Amino acid sequence: MSDFDQELDASGLNCPLPILRAKKAIAGMDAGQTLRIIATDPGSVKDFEAFCKQTGNELLSSGEEGGKFTFLIKKAA
Amino acid sequence: MQAASGLFAERGYHGVSIDDIAREVDVSPAVLYRHFSSKKELYDTVLMELACQRESYVDAVINSGTSFEDVLAGMTRIYINSIADNPDLLRIELQSLLDGNSATREFFENRWKSFADYIEFSLNEMLPYDQDNREVTILSASLMFQGILREALIQKFLQPHDRLEDVDLEELSVELVRLFLRGLGITKSRLTRRAVIKE
Repeated sequence: MSDFDQELDASGLNCPLPILRAKKAIAGMDAGQTLRIIATDPGSVKDFEAFCKQTGNELLSSGEEGGKFTFLIKKAA
Repeated sequence: MQAASGLFAERGYHGVSIDDIAREVDVSPAVLYRHFSSKKELYDTVLMELACQRESYVDAVINSGTSFEDVLAGMTRIYINSIADNPDLLRIELQSLLDGNSATREFFENRWKSFADYIEFSLNEMLPYDQDNREVTILSASLMFQGILREALIQKFLQPHDRLEDVDLEELSVELVRLFLRGLGITKSRLTRRAVIKE
């Protein structure tokens, strides 16, 4: 079993597309469910931090490996 | 760096010497040469730094609807405000276009690609699959929007006589987006049907 409920691949896309797609994906999820996002835009690190801060969703983790950034977000109740 | 970018923005690469910059910041040219081996290196550093400054469009997504029209208007407003705060960004971008400097690509990647990506990706989802010349339409639309936005910014911030003096920036961004959508034949009702999701 994977450790997230949904996955979104936003590789190659510049802000605001990764954020917009994440917002749409989260809208369709239940509270407490998690979304894993993959992005290649270095600006996405700051963007997802701001996104979570402003929306109240929880940024469980973020990391970078080989130019790919991954974020795990838990939908707020 | 700020002094150097102001001078380059005003006069272009060829119109500025290391001596000019040294005079502007009140140091001897030797001090500048200690940090930069040449004017070219200094210029490249200034360009790259500016090219990599980027607006955050998070607000455009969070504080508005998620329709194509709302997000594009939000992005446009953020972009116009960032140029209003620092018109040198636009000046130096235009200078770098003519110089053919490698920073030109950085300017596109960091500053315009957000618009190109957003428009092309969204239209790809919105336009009918059987539309004639679909790919060319999408690419043209993306160029068209970048073109009108850049021209509006040039008229608003770089011309000695501001023809748009009485136009509110918020109004300007909404109107540009509205005309753009009309030009594409995308009406609000169709947008609502195809691109808006229920929150």
